Amino acid sequence: MSDNKTKELIEIREKLKIMLVENLSLEDINPDDIKTDEPLFGEGLGLDSLDAVEIVVMLQRNFGLEVKDMNKGKEIFYSIDTLADYVYENTKNKS
Amino acid sequence: MSDEKLKATTKKRGNRLGLWFFKISLKLFGLAGAYGLLYFVCSYYLVFDRVTFSVCMAYINRRYPDHSFLRKIYYVYKLFINQGKNLIDRYYIISGQGEFEIEDECNERLNSLFNNPQKGCILLLTHVGNWQAIMPSFSKLIKKPVYLLMRPEDNAALKDMLDIDSEREGIKIISPAGYLGGVVELTHALGQGHIVSIMGDRTYGSDSVEAYFLGQKAHFPYAAFRIAAATGCPVVILFSARVSNKKYRVFYPSIIQPQYSGTQDKRKDIEGWIQEFAQNLEDYAAEYPFQWFVLEDIWAEERKQ
Repeated sequence: MSDNKTKELIEIREKLKIMLVENLSLEDINPDDIKTDEPLFGEGLGLDSLDAVEIVVMLQRNFGLEVKDMNKGKEIFYSIDTLADYVYENTKNKS
Repeated sequence: MSDEKLKATTKKRGNRLGLWFFKISLKLFGLAGAYGLLYFVCSYYLVFDRVTFSVCMAYINRRYPDHSFLRKIYYVYKLFINQGKNLIDRYYIISGQGEFEIEDECNERLNSLFNNPQKGCILLLTHVGNWQAIMPSFSKLIKKPVYLLMRPEDNAALKDMLDIDSEREGIKIISPAGYLGGVVELTHALGQGHIVSIMGDRTYGSDSVEAYFLGQKAHFPYAAFRIAAATGCPVVILFSARVSNKKYRVFYPSIIQPQYSGTQDKRKDIEGWIQEFAQNLEDYAAEYPFQWFVLEDIWAEERKQ
């Protein structure tokens, strides 16, 4: 992986963590406490399906990305890492 | 919610043989003949279906607190009969044996909301009246498909007879049983300017918020309002009511535009929107007391918070 890509992915992960805490009102959680490889839903961060709506909207508003495919959704929404990969790949393709 | 209470909403009622009798009666004697059978069948359920009796009584006790116990039993019986009529009406429409007159009170403002290509709209439905019977006509009226977020029907016999949870012209189903409860599909549909219908009454044991309803705190699901607040879409409350043997009324008591205030806990905002919906529902129960088919004790304490 190139240094540039690594750097960009780190930035996206940080951005996503901050957005999650702000948009989902996770008052007791500090963005730095979120492990980037832990599952977002169920065990892990413990988000529910309604939180997923906020994440879908967050991706649209902040990155102009729309998740249409349910099957891909399962992979994309697994963790901060998978979300960041999706954002990186798709914003890179756009620009 | 206890398993027993949850069973009331998902329990299988009616088998293929029983439904066959209704089909034959409808064919031979028309709607009146099929309705006539209900008086016997519902007597059986009144005596033996204790779970459904108890959840209906939870509503009747609050709607008619001062009435005698015998009258309340009669009211539960009326609820059973009316629900049976609803099912027969749906089969009557779906099987192409006839139609009902639908008096839809959709106005200019609602029409422009429903037909906004930039922004979708959430239609909040309730198990009162007969939303399934009026949905095909609603879809035709607004000239666009309606996405329904709904659980698959558990009763195979009823599912086959009424074509429940099958897509047909103008109606598309999103199943909450899928990954993340179908939110990816419904958020996409709203983004495309479509209408997404969500049920606003039964919680099925999931998280709920409280609102005053018929004098006491009751529990309501709040998915519609959270989705609306996140996506910026309005919530239109749709009620239907059977006003005669050949006519249904469709009306829209409120349009709510959920937006978090930012000054308080988001849950408090949600409770405010739910209270407005509960007030609409209370007005409905005052006007159409025997068209309440929620089949869940929404006042019960034991449930997930």
